[in-house]
Amino acid sequence: MDKAERQNWFSQLINTYGLPRLIITGFLLFLFIMAPITGSDLPTQFTNVFNRFSWNAVLVLAMVPMIHSGCGLNFGIPLGVLAGLLGGTLAIEMGFTGPMSFVVAILMATPFAILFGGGYGALLNRIKGGEMMVATYVGFSAVSFMCIMWLMIPYKNPSIVMAYTGVGLRNVFALDKFYANVLSDFLKIDLNPIGINLVIPTGSLLFIALLAVGIWAFFHTKTGTAMTAVGSNPAFARASGINVDRVRMLSVILSTWLGAVGVLVYQQGFGFAQLYTAPYNLTMPAVAAILIGGASVNKASIGNVIIGTILFQGLVTMTPTVITALIHTDVSEVIRIIVSNGMVVYALTRKTEGAK
Amino acid sequence: MKKKTLLIRLAVLVLCVALGATMMVIGRGHTIYLDNKTLEDYQGQEYKAFERVNITVDGEDEVIKLKKRERDMATCIGQSFHMTLEITEKKGDEPRVEEIDLKLPYNMDGIIINLPAYLAGLPEEAWMTEFIPAPEPEEPDEEEPDIGDEFDMGGDLGLEGDAIA
Amino acid sequence: MKMKKNFNGFDFLQNNLVPLMFIIICVICYPLSGFSPSYLLNEIVTRMGRNIFLILSLLIPIMAGMGLNFGMTLGAMAGQIALIFVTDWQIWGIPGVVLAMLLSIPLSALLGLMCGKLMNMAKGREMILGYMVNYFVTGLYQLVVLFLMGSIIPIIHASVRLPRGFGIRTTVNLSNMRQCLDNQWAILYKGVKIPILTFVIIGLLCLFIIWFRRTKLGQDMRAVGQDMDVARAAGINVDRTRIISIIISTVLAGFGQIIYLQNIGNFPTCTAHSQIGMFCIAALLVGGASVEKASIGNVFLGVILFHTMFIVAPKAGGAITGNAMIGEYFRVFVSYGVITLALIMYEIKKRRARSQGGQLLAQAQKEGGVQA
Repeated sequence: MDKAERQNWFSQLINTYGLPRLIITGFLLFLFIMAPITGSDLPTQFTNVFNRFSWNAVLVLAMVPMIHSGCGLNFGIPLGVLAGLLGGTLAIEMGFTGPMSFVVAILMATPFAILFGGGYGALLNRIKGGEMMVATYVGFSAVSFMCIMWLMIPYKNPSIVMAYTGVGLRNVFALDKFYANVLSDFLKIDLNPIGINLVIPTGSLLFIALLAVGIWAFFHTKTGTAMTAVGSNPAFARASGINVDRVRMLSVILSTWLGAVGVLVYQQGFGFAQLYTAPYNLTMPAVAAILIGGASVNKASIGNVIIGTILFQGLVTMTPTVITALIHTDVSEVIRIIVSNGMVVYALTRKTEGAK
Repeated sequence: MKKKTLLIRLAVLVLCVALGATMMVIGRGHTIYLDNKTLEDYQGQEYKAFERVNITVDGEDEVIKLKKRERDMATCIGQSFHMTLEITEKKGDEPRVEEIDLKLPYNMDGIIINLPAYLAGLPEEAWMTEFIPAPEPEEPDEEEPDIGDEFDMGGDLGLEGDAIA
Repeated sequence: MKMKKNFNGFDFLQNNLVPLMFIIICVICYPLSGFSPSYLLNEIVTRMGRNIFLILSLLIPIMAGMGLNFGMTLGAMAGQIALIFVTDWQIWGIPGVVLAMLLSIPLSALLGLMCGKLMNMAKGREMILGYMVNYFVTGLYQLVVLFLMGSIIPIIHASVRLPRGFGIRTTVNLSNMRQCLDNQWAILYKGVKIPILTFVIIGLLCLFIIWFRRTKLGQDMRAVGQDMDVARAAGINVDRTRIISIIISTVLAGFGQIIYLQNIGNFPTCTAHSQIGMFCIAALLVGGASVEKASIGNVFLGVILFHTMFIVAPKAGGAITGNAMIGEYFRVFVSYGVITLALIMYEIKKRRARSQGGQLLAQAQKEGGVQA
């Protein structure tokens, strides 16, 4: 391979894989190599990455349908999260405990997700081309509106309402009695007894795989292919008789529902439910993750979701321990902010064809 | 035409730098600690503290009143410091008035001035010393910032990522 | 004729929906809040003094058709870095403020240049890009402020540094320049402090904006804002004009943030800028501006209405519902809601204009075809 050829090969790699993604992958590999050298236990690190992956993957998956149908990055994911929170709190309020509460939570969240997603989809259909900015602020408005609602809805269950007044929900409450770890404890592989600090939350991973396969299969149905057509070339889709607005609406509802399920999965892994302003904080990690996985503003696949979530969550869990051990300063927070937001900026400046 | 715009731009740049330099000189703030204390054994001599000194510093409304062995502070922006002293040297004496102009060294933040030594006409090193703040305790109390217009909802709007409790 | 008049009335209502809504909210909430008129007036005047400059910085990008400049936060960060240096060098009072403004110019211009270039790469998505860029630059800002200052960038005074030896303390204390602009020539009238010098500075900026609109560059910007392709055909360097508008906005935002912080008297190092963009934009929209059109009048009306709401809403909310938190969430909801509404209205209008344009074009072609 002569020099010119090598250069060509390299630029091709950058073109197909993307420079930022290359840097992030390289950085993550560097972290994995450095981890044993700095004295941190590699299996523990893997456990953390697996765990964080299992919490977040469904939220990242929720980006896919909307990107597919050309609605752009789903900055409005807080709507789905709110539906999920409503479902979860209602399930608890109705007195369900254990794994049953998780099932009921998803069932209760579904009508809300359809309702919110429908309204949101109808709105986005009227503002094609400007979805992302509006979505961001629709998310903000909805979250601040629900802040009022959490105080006003007459919940009664003493384990979730405020301790003193008994009016309004708590900021954070533990889910131990309800659906904490219901998925991750299912078929859990724990290697601690044989001396390796590795725990794999098999149940969560299976659940994620189930949803991912479901979405993958959906994209191969007639409606699914129509959605892809709408996303890649709306004019052509319209010409071939697809009802563009209906398909877009469907994708938004699907995204919102996945957001609702996503937050419930997140909570079962995390073990706590966070209300009020917390839904804001789930948007950026999800958006950044799918972009790091190689998606663009109008193109995303299940593979992007899995690679992106592993890369991003790997970065988030590994940097604090490894970098702190290396330079004795905790810059991880700053690195995370720069990487995740830089990734979004990069994606937005890419030229994208069609999708308007 | 091109040359003219270039000249104008250079002139504006020079003006900005000059303005900045001026601001650095005239805006340098100093804290001045005024001591009415006996200066012991300066070249074998002793300079007694005054019974009472009333000090009017330019730009400050309140009159500083110092008894024996007292210290008070004033602030000054710029390097020239002006004050009016009303000195009662011993009990029962008639107060006398003195006007004082000082040139302050640029690099000192806190400056201690020993008044009896200054008024005795001693050289600068006898009456001027730098105030060095005591080293702070390990973790000093951080003051809470004012909230401004109180727009913060507590959420970081996605900056926070998923917070691990 | 009569129908046309009715139509105009409806149009007026539609165009001024947001200000009217806010006037109603304020009128309802004020008596419930129980504040005295002089207290309320004093608060509003103070907030006018510290916020108007910041909001005025949004006007020029709107003129250039780049929408609401969410990237103004970059200027605010530049202003904060300048203030940290000035505090460390112990430059006090008005000279300190002037020096901070001078120092912020190169930083703001650089950040503005970056933001402008990125926006040129994402035409039609300027707002979401500006919004994301400010989070991205927040990361860089924290890197500089928490890790580089004191280790690579010299910081002299231990009172500014963190005890660990590098990084800036969580709060930067501006007590030596606190309200130095506001107190200069201030007039106290019946319990209302009027900061004359600050208002003079704001007045000068208004004059600058009015003058700027009439210059060649200002005209170019308007042309670019109207239609980029037409402007390009007329020989205007579109990209350069857009970058300049963002740079001016960023520099002005830097000045604005310095004025804002000298009034407050200290600031949280890492987060002082984070909400600035949001509430400046909300205030501007409340004043009746839209994404493509905003005037100086909108700024003044917006500040008064928005801040009246902000002052009275928590107390009024508490009085109505018996829970002060509800009032607080309510006002945040209203600010976000206003921005959302304005953005939706803008996008719908844009889309309608586009389809109308398409129809006209089609019609013209049809007629042309008939003639041929």
